[in-house]
Amino acid sequence: MANGSDGELNGSGMNRRRFLTVLGAAGGGAAALSGCSGEATDKLIPYLVPPDNQIPGIATWYASTCRECPAGCGVHARVREGRVVKVEGNPESPVNQGRLCARGQASLQGLYNPDRVRGPMVKNAGGAFEPISWDDAIARITERLEGVTGDLIRFVTGNEAGTFDRLVTEWLAALGSPAPVVYEPFGYEALRFAGQQVFGTDRLPRYDFGAARYVLSFGADFLETWLSPVEQARGFSESHGFRDGSMGRYVHVEPRMSMTGMSADEWIAPRPGSEALLALAMAHVIVNERLVPRQSDTFRVQQLLDAHAPADVADRTGVPVETIERLAREFVAEPSLAVAGGVGAQHEQAHVTAAAVNVLNYIAGNVGRTVSYGADLNPAGSSSYADLGSLVRAMRNGGVGVLFIHGANPAHAAPAGTDFAGAMAQVGFSVSFARFWDETAVHADLVLPDHDPLEQWNDFEPRAGVYALQQPVMRPVFDTRQTGDVLLTVAQQVGGRLGARLTAATYKDYLQQAWGRLQRRLRDFRPFETFWTEALQHGGVWRDAPVRTVRLARSVAELQEPATWSAPQDGFTLIAYPSPALYDGRGANRPWLQELPDPVTKMTWSTWVEVHPETAAEQGIHEGDILEVTTPVGTVEAPAYLYPGLRRDVLAMPLGQGHTAFGRYAEGRGANVYAVLSTDVTEFGGVSHYAAASLRHTGRHEYVAKTEGKSRQMGRGIAQAVTLAALQHGEHGEPHGGHAAPVPEHIEELLDEVQEAQDADTKHGDYAGDVPRWALAVDLSKCTGCSACVTACHSENNIPTVGPELVRRGREMAWIRIERYFEGGEHGEPLEARHLPMMCQQCGRAPCEPVCPVYAAYQTPDGLNGQIYNRCVGTRYCSNNCPYKVRVFNWFDHQEENDPAFAFPDPLHWLLNPDVTVRAKGVMEKCTFCVQRIRGKQNEAMLAGRELQDGEILTACQQTCPSDALVFGDLNDPTSRVHQVSRDERSYHVLGDLNTQPGVTYLRKVRNVGVEEA
Amino acid sequence: MTKRALLLAVPLGMVAAAVLLLLTRPGSAQGTGQASAAQMDGFKAPVDVDTAGLPGPVQPLFYRHDVHAGEYEMDCRYCHFAAEVSPSAGLPTMSTCMGCHILAGAANPEVQKLRDYWNERRPIEWVEVHRLAPFVRFPHHRHVNSDAEIECQDCHGPIEEMPQVYQYASLKMGWCITCHEKEEASTDCTVCHY
Repeated sequence: MANGSDGELNGSGMNRRRFLTVLGAAGGGAAALSGCSGEATDKLIPYLVPPDNQIPGIATWYASTCRECPAGCGVHARVREGRVVKVEGNPESPVNQGRLCARGQASLQGLYNPDRVRGPMVKNAGGAFEPISWDDAIARITERLEGVTGDLIRFVTGNEAGTFDRLVTEWLAALGSPAPVVYEPFGYEALRFAGQQVFGTDRLPRYDFGAARYVLSFGADFLETWLSPVEQARGFSESHGFRDGSMGRYVHVEPRMSMTGMSADEWIAPRPGSEALLALAMAHVIVNERLVPRQSDTFRVQQLLDAHAPADVADRTGVPVETIERLAREFVAEPSLAVAGGVGAQHEQAHVTAAAVNVLNYIAGNVGRTVSYGADLNPAGSSSYADLGSLVRAMRNGGVGVLFIHGANPAHAAPAGTDFAGAMAQVGFSVSFARFWDETAVHADLVLPDHDPLEQWNDFEPRAGVYALQQPVMRPVFDTRQTGDVLLTVAQQVGGRLGARLTAATYKDYLQQAWGRLQRRLRDFRPFETFWTEALQHGGVWRDAPVRTVRLARSVAELQEPATWSAPQDGFTLIAYPSPALYDGRGANRPWLQELPDPVTKMTWSTWVEVHPETAAEQGIHEGDILEVTTPVGTVEAPAYLYPGLRRDVLAMPLGQGHTAFGRYAEGRGANVYAVLSTDVTEFGGVSHYAAASLRHTGRHEYVAKTEGKSRQMGRGIAQAVTLAALQHGEHGEPHGGHAAPVPEHIEELLDEVQEAQDADTKHGDYAGDVPRWALAVDLSKCTGCSACVTACHSENNIPTVGPELVRRGREMAWIRIERYFEGGEHGEPLEARHLPMMCQQCGRAPCEPVCPVYAAYQTPDGLNGQIYNRCVGTRYCSNNCPYKVRVFNWFDHQEENDPAFAFPDPLHWLLNPDVTVRAKGVMEKCTFCVQRIRGKQNEAMLAGRELQDGEILTACQQTCPSDALVFGDLNDPTSRVHQVSRDERSYHVLGDLNTQPGVTYLRKVRNVGVEEA
Repeated sequence: MTKRALLLAVPLGMVAAAVLLLLTRPGSAQGTGQASAAQMDGFKAPVDVDTAGLPGPVQPLFYRHDVHAGEYEMDCRYCHFAAEVSPSAGLPTMSTCMGCHILAGAANPEVQKLRDYWNERRPIEWVEVHRLAPFVRFPHHRHVNSDAEIECQDCHGPIEEMPQVYQYASLKMGWCITCHEKEEASTDCTVCHY
């Protein structure tokens, strides 16, 4: 790991962009497949001065921190010839331990986004933006600040816990201004409120999913957006993945089955808003039946629990008494964990749900075991929606003279009635530090673009004891400037108290001073340079935070009987849930995330309304019918998607779309569901994501852009599952490959002959000792369907995005997809969802190979189905013959500027992996287990004069998988992990009866049901 | 020389070479003859050459491989420093040139050109000579370090005698395969194509 580079490429004043552009060609950069014609002569441009830590053709890795959401995962950025081409999780980070979600993978598309603000801009008298120099821009701020009193200066930031947050606070304090409003749309106000009420602390504890053998989620989407999804997915797969005959159990309680809920062994859909009653009734059973030793302070909630016997709440929740009692018993039988407070379950009474769940955890003795205070998440805290509301009122009443906005987009990601943009018009002068032209930035007077997180010096404190550093991994793409530097320059120019207090010349100095103090606090007495360099190399400093014990607070007695959410008699409850890919909408300008099929619905590039199929049948609604959803505050339109994972009286819509600005990939797509959410501040200070809604069919229809084929398996046995009870009785479904229909002997002989001839033809030389057979094993009991692998594959393999129109025509280019199938859900059977990652199966007897007329598809000696792009003439026979449908065809020249499907507008093409060919029109392409990584590691091993180690080669999908569901390696090596995993009792091959002999082995999903139930 | 030593040697060697050239060839300019006795027995680059009459593309600056690699017997890896450790052989940085030419060869007009580039902080835009098809991967390190003991000249030709470099081998697949078969290296497609 290299360290401490400024990302300086050379000491010259050479135009950087031109430099990088030409260098790409010189270093054997992303080669375009240009057919047989003679190519134009290229130029080779040397560096003036060799950059540190860089050898052309060899990647340099820098440690930094992902800032796509407040989880603060550590990343390693792969830099080739001065530009980042991939980000991967930092294995040393205690948060994500080397894994990354789809949003993290797509952070590259924020850095290279063609719609970034490319330099400082000022709004002129006509209301249009024009460029301004940095010096002039800063002078204008100084001038404005001198013209107002301190109390009229306000600052809005996102969650930026760490040194930047402290700088802003200090900066404002010196000006005599109020503290910044830290606005996160997903601020978890209900959780903080409930913590305060029940335990007397508004901190967010750390939830240890790895230690919990029984997880009960009351609407918390802990595998998608809730708190720290990658860390939680890792823990969850450790406890819930099947291993050595046992596994944890997970019950999901929510009116809608979210992607997280799809991993559950049991889904309970209570009446919307009644989750708290269920939790209290469970606690009632635990206390009354004395299932666990009674805590000394249980008396504080005794009265409350007495009022919530299962029989009292069964009707109101819609959950039978027996189920409640069973859940209560299961909950205390093993180390357990109950979680609540997901944004998709944030109704008006969400704080009561969270409080009831806190009580339940406390009663069951989980607090201190699986719920630990001390290593608190987002220790700096954030403001609530209520705080934003007060600011907006002040803005309207002339109480704000100068407004600064950094890292937040309240003009989009807040209920539309908040009208932050409208209020900005009432502010004398507003300055946005946005990196993109988002809805808030376009209403500012001055836009001073900040560096991308990958271009800046910074730090972040995602949880107490974790100090994560960010360093610039390359020089800035555009004429941007770090906001910390702007604030410090302004401080010097304004002078006075502000200038005297903030004396650091640059933000990097300020940051290092802060880290100097941190070093002393951590009692590290080495020279600062050593401490700093080491922290940069490792991506930060991690310490265990001391555990704090909490007891039931006196205020828990104030916990009131929750008023059950009441939907109108004939109407629906609309649930606005966070999009797993787009988060609150900040991911909407990343084409990878737009094209990433939603894990639940498989929809892309749009907003949709989820309707239960039976409701739809009653109302004559079909998929794609444009529906008008009306709530008391507004109306949105979106196409229908029929989803069985809903209560019949519920509608659900994802947040994140409906941008009116934010660049070409986000603008004018789908609907902003915030438009129909009320601005009323709930008791806990947040926004209710539930609304009473009515439905109207507009009579219009559209063909939806989704990648889902059939949602049912039709008996094909693609995604197989087995129950834990059956496994314990020695029944593990069909034996390995047992599907295969008997092949007539003469055919088998012929096949063998062909194979032998093929092997003899290709086995020249000795590439890596004994010839390996590369193989992948996929454990379906761990796969959660999160789709991080899909985005990682896009990033690694230069896969273009095609846009909604081509997705409708089935021309998406992803090499790996997550297939999602439903089982049951009809005739009173419980609904079950299954995910299956489908990539090229690298068949031993591949149907694609014999039909290729030009030998572009062929079997490599090491067991891959090779695809030689320059041989391919585009007959598409291979794709026709592939039973897995994993080959994709280039209908367009995605890298050609004049092509209708141009996918890499400048500077988005900078993220192309120089080790992988960019395919041209008329060429078939597919997954080859990241053959460039295999060859790269083989070369490395050969140079070092050693054998390849098992686990050394990681495919991009495997590397990023948060739940460690994929294992890659050499099947011919009996000691390899993939060899052992593939021989698991649960293993099977998809469509094994076709005798394709795939290199990908799946391990059946295990459902923890029927083990000890009555 | 080990890879690590080679890398370490680059900055040191830069100074050493400059000093060496100063000591052994006082006052001499590139290509003007007057080689010292130490180098007389080796290859001697011709003095005057007409670039237009030579094979290979005309470069923006008439850099003489025959003088540097031939007459002075400089190791190829002194400039193409990454050949042993990277798929790319590496293009010498301008500072590598200036390591010597800040002192050496002042009288030569081409050296003067180089100094102008350097003073203006402009890189020289060399014209690419050896061009592989873009869908082929050629890892230099794998070949330079292979058991087949491949010399640079095996593919690039007698560079040390070329006043102007031209493409020596066809670099077409048949040419690659011939050698791979002879050396029993893999001829699997995905070894080079991906």
